Amino acid sequence: MMLVSAGRRLLWQEWDDHYLVFQASSAETHVFNETTALILRCLEEGPRSVAEVKAWTEVALDAAPGELGADEFDFATRRLEELGLIEYLDETVATQ
Amino acid sequence: MIIGDLSRQEFQELLAGKGLGIQFGPFNLRIRSNLKSFAALAYQLYEPYPLLTAAVISDFHVDMNSPPGLRRWLRPQACFAIDGHSPFAPYTVEHAFPALEWGINWCVATRAHHLLMLHSAVVERNGQAMLFPAWPGHGKSTLCTALVHSGWRLLSDEFGLVRPEDGMLLPLPRLISLKNDSIDVIRHFRPEAIIGPSFQATRKGTVAHVRPPVDSIKRAQEPARPRCFVFPRWIAGAPFTLEAMPKSQAFLMVATNAFNYEVLDEIAFRLVIDMVNSCDCYSLRYSNLDEAMAALDELSRSFDA
Repeated sequence: MMLVSAGRRLLWQEWDDHYLVFQASSAETHVFNETTALILRCLEEGPRSVAEVKAWTEVALDAAPGELGADEFDFATRRLEELGLIEYLDETVATQ
Repeated sequence: MIIGDLSRQEFQELLAGKGLGIQFGPFNLRIRSNLKSFAALAYQLYEPYPLLTAAVISDFHVDMNSPPGLRRWLRPQACFAIDGHSPFAPYTVEHAFPALEWGINWCVATRAHHLLMLHSAVVERNGQAMLFPAWPGHGKSTLCTALVHSGWRLLSDEFGLVRPEDGMLLPLPRLISLKNDSIDVIRHFRPEAIIGPSFQATRKGTVAHVRPPVDSIKRAQEPARPRCFVFPRWIAGAPFTLEAMPKSQAFLMVATNAFNYEVLDEIAFRLVIDMVNSCDCYSLRYSNLDEAMAALDELSRSFDA
């Protein structure tokens, strides 16, 4: 399973550990914690597998491999998907 | 010319006839009314405002009239209308003046989408504006009224009008609407303040209107740069605190408190981000007005330093 950015135009503002993201397509302003924001940042660079995104996020958080809980990671990605900011795709579709 | 250059008779004739043209900051209004009951108060409180000639194009044409029919005689009412439409149920005629003031605010809040409109009082000193975004009942108007009668300039008691082109704050120094206990607080704090009568049992409780200092009205075309957000909250008996507020929290409070953040979408996001980035942000809790004012004076002096 791959994760991809939904290709929405986003405006970012970071203050301390809070990330404000303006989603132009919906005119919504979101407030994300660091983990959620990093997942989104990671996918702005291109499609990646779920495992790759988790590993990238752990490095960015300066956490040890496996330290980012699966529940927390899953919650963050599902939330981003609900907001229309990322999508889950089959690997074959994502690489086309 | 100002309204005060008219005689009372001329003022009433304009109101009842082709309309009284009056300038409130960036907005030109034409007001008409067939009610004599509030003309005297309007004449007193609007006296220093610029008078517009008939040739000036008005942003809003508002009416405050008694509805037709038997109502006019049996139980008199007053009906607010803009461009011939009445957005609100009629008011009892005794509340015509506060109804007109609310109606004018409603016109601005629902139509002036060329500006970002924050729900905030704004005052200025030495070219630096301090904003007080707050929910109703948090003491914004009381604090604002006390400050503008103590050397600060009023930009607005209700609207932080942000010009998208440069982020400057436009003045809208309209009458300040005080409610309930804050009326007596200000009457005692500044007995010389020009305050209209208290209207009892209106839809917003007891209401009275404060005329801003003349200097604020004269400088209504002079914008100010935002320098500081202070989020006030009056709590009876609470100890005074003035604490720095995280910018992310300040952003959310400003954005959620704005009249048209959703309407302006990306423009609003950028404007609020820029404002919060360039401003210091504080949370204020107070019960003693003098204590709060002294702290805000000191804060203002620290900007100059």
